[in-house]
Amino acid sequence: MRATDDNVPSQRSVLERILIRSWEYRHLRFWAGYRIVAGIILVFCGVATLWVGAYGWAALFLVPAALFLMFGYWEMTIAYRLLYAPLPQRVRELERSRSRVVDDSAAGLRRIERDLHDGAQAQLVAVSMKLGLATKKLGGMVDGTGQTDLDRVLELVVAAHRGTKEAITELRDLARGIHPPALDQGLGAALATLAARSDLPVELVVDLPERPSPAIETIAYFCAAELLANAAKHGRARHATLEAAHVPGLLRVEVTDDGIGGARVEAHGGLAGLAERVRTVDGRLRLSSPPGGPTMVTVELPSHA
Amino acid sequence: MRIVIAEDSAVVRAGLAEILADSGHEVAAAVGNADDLLAAVAEHRPDAAVVDVRMPPGYTDEGVRAAIAIRRDHPKTGVLVFSQYIETHYAADLLGAASAGSAAGVGYLLKDRVSDVDEFVDALSRVAAGGTVLDPEVVTQLLAASRRTDKLRSFTAREREVLTLMAEGRSNSAIAANLVVSERAVEKHVANIFSKLTLAPSDADNRRVLAVLRYLES
Repeated sequence: MRATDDNVPSQRSVLERILIRSWEYRHLRFWAGYRIVAGIILVFCGVATLWVGAYGWAALFLVPAALFLMFGYWEMTIAYRLLYAPLPQRVRELERSRSRVVDDSAAGLRRIERDLHDGAQAQLVAVSMKLGLATKKLGGMVDGTGQTDLDRVLELVVAAHRGTKEAITELRDLARGIHPPALDQGLGAALATLAARSDLPVELVVDLPERPSPAIETIAYFCAAELLANAAKHGRARHATLEAAHVPGLLRVEVTDDGIGGARVEAHGGLAGLAERVRTVDGRLRLSSPPGGPTMVTVELPSHA
Repeated sequence: MRIVIAEDSAVVRAGLAEILADSGHEVAAAVGNADDLLAAVAEHRPDAAVVDVRMPPGYTDEGVRAAIAIRRDHPKTGVLVFSQYIETHYAADLLGAASAGSAAGVGYLLKDRVSDVDEFVDALSRVAAGGTVLDPEVVTQLLAASRRTDKLRSFTAREREVLTLMAEGRSNSAIAANLVVSERAVEKHVANIFSKLTLAPSDADNRRVLAVLRYLES
């Protein structure tokens, strides 16, 4: 179900929302009302005929009256259920999913900041220290105030060089974690890169005649990445299959591995996080992982979010 | 100097120890969190401690809190706090703790400054000797933030420069050399700053720190 104007909760008052909905269900309510009024009239007629003692005629009125009232009541219940129940429920769902998205992105930014702070930034500070020390030593050698110790300077420069290379690697990995460049070429290309870089052999089956929207591709990519990482790390798999298929309206990503199985969607666990991320776009995640394996995780996403 | 290092990143910790050892100082201990730092300071009684702001377990302001505790419990140990970002309110917290005691002995520097080995070691010795060292970035940020307040508007451009250098922990002669003016001229600017910040002459030792503190609070 996609978010349309009338179920975006924050933009309309409760009264407006009720009016919009009652317009949609007005026919149903009209018929229900009609039947109930007719039923009441028939009951009056039935009571009147009973009063005059025409019992046979009374049955002719009272039986349809009962039927009318029954149907009317039934329709009324449906109308009210459609009218009041689904909207607040959908509103609650959207509110929950919005707060999940907000939490998710805040946590994501925090993780990136931490990774930068502890990784490349710290690495570069250490490099600058080594180069500072090397500069000081070289300066001392040049103006003759310090002792000549080229070996030590070389050692410092080599260490600094190694440090910059490590920082570059860390920055590259981090950048790829934020947005995999291969995704620009489409989900198929990105999944191929992912499969090739994975720690375990991955068989890739891709059937993507059309591209889903970028947000969906990104979610699908990160699901696949995390599921493959899980297969290697927790599932102790030796082989995995990654399938991605896009039929009109639906993108399905499936990761199957030959690991130990027994995976579960636990609160605050990796799979629960994935399931939540998938739910934010009205997708779903299904898990089949009997003890002993194989583990199969299917993620279904709408083509457009 | 005997120095204790507290820094959670192993590469930075090693680099720092290397620089200090190379400059002829003794690194008594190098630890990775605030609790170990407090224990190491109590055990080794160092001349100075170099403390990272963000450390386990919370990765927020553990270092600043530990620094304040060290200044309170071990007045002879100067504390140089350093981090990858400058938060001016940490500077205010540190100087607030310093002005409560007799000597200042606190510093707050960006980690980048460590790469200028001599300047960093110099700053550390000033802190160990009871001086104040604030990163130029702290001063820049404060200047930007305090443009609106009236008290600082009364300063001339030159007085602001002097105050900035004072905040960095420079002596009058160092300030004079930096601005290429006579020491007499600097003394005059400093006196003006004190009177504009309404600091009584009797405050002797602490006045420079107090001036910076007023500056931070304004």
